[in-house]
Amino acid sequence: MKRAYGLSVAILLIVSSGGVALGQAPKKTAAEQEDVAGTVAILDHVWLDAAHNHDGETAAWLFADNFVEIHPGGFLVSKQQQVDMISNTQLGDLAIQSTDIQVRYASPDVAVLTDKTTIRGKQGETSYDGQYRVMRVFAKQHGRWRAAGAGIARITAAP
Amino acid sequence: MMRHIQVGILVLILGFAIPAMGQTKSAGDLAGGVDWKALDHKWLDSERTGDLDYLEKFFADSYVLVRADGQSYTKKEWLGILRGPDRPTLLTLDPEDIQVHVFGNVAILTDHTTIKGHDSKGKSMDGEYNVFRVVIKQNGIWRATGVVMNPDLTKK
Repeated sequence: MKRAYGLSVAILLIVSSGGVALGQAPKKTAAEQEDVAGTVAILDHVWLDAAHNHDGETAAWLFADNFVEIHPGGFLVSKQQQVDMISNTQLGDLAIQSTDIQVRYASPDVAVLTDKTTIRGKQGETSYDGQYRVMRVFAKQHGRWRAAGAGIARITAAP
Repeated sequence: MMRHIQVGILVLILGFAIPAMGQTKSAGDLAGGVDWKALDHKWLDSERTGDLDYLEKFFADSYVLVRADGQSYTKKEWLGILRGPDRPTLLTLDPEDIQVHVFGNVAILTDHTTIKGHDSKGKSMDGEYNVFRVVIKQNGIWRATGVVMNPDLTKK
């Protein structure tokens, strides 16, 4: 019985994915919008956990091939550079926490969110202590959500 | 023979489809059939000259601006500033080194923007910034949905 149920779910997933892949986009519903928001909010945490844990493998899985990020100070990095930084345990540990996650835009294949990220720690000679306003962009590619890029600005303005 | 033709067609389709999913180009190129350099210049020219009718249409309702001090503004808030007595005077708003990363219905533009001008109280706003810009395709039209500015410290 369990097996039959599992098989049904698998077939349903394949069929529904196939419909989207063939360009037969289902009508957007409020529930689907909420699902996108929920999914990318989780991916936001996956992203930060990967950075905290020096988990380059997860970062490489999450980042799209032409991922781009602008760090505070205007430093522009590619996917490979960002994955290398995350993987490098010599750079030291950062405590990273995101709050105030706001999904600014969500469609079936694009999501843009902002959050407030608090970082504590040093990497090399650089101290990252502080709060940052971050914009993260996600795009659905080949049926899977990938991180397309991020822009990060240090919060220096008085609240 | 037929099988070879089918494989050839498949290779051609994949050859076109895969680059279209994730393109990184200098903005002089027409990635996705869009002149990204012109789009970026039109955007900033409109902010400099106060073409608010254009900006009202070009900014998506989801638009959010994060300035270099981390302060964020929604579309309504930012256009309110540009319309109001506190609007800044922008003499130069010039994007260079525009790069585009296209992901289907969203594109990320990065550029180096030079700003010369002052706020409503006369305080200088001169600076060099590396900027992260996000545009989305809605009903076939590309619209701005986000900006994050950073002071360019890369040459210091």
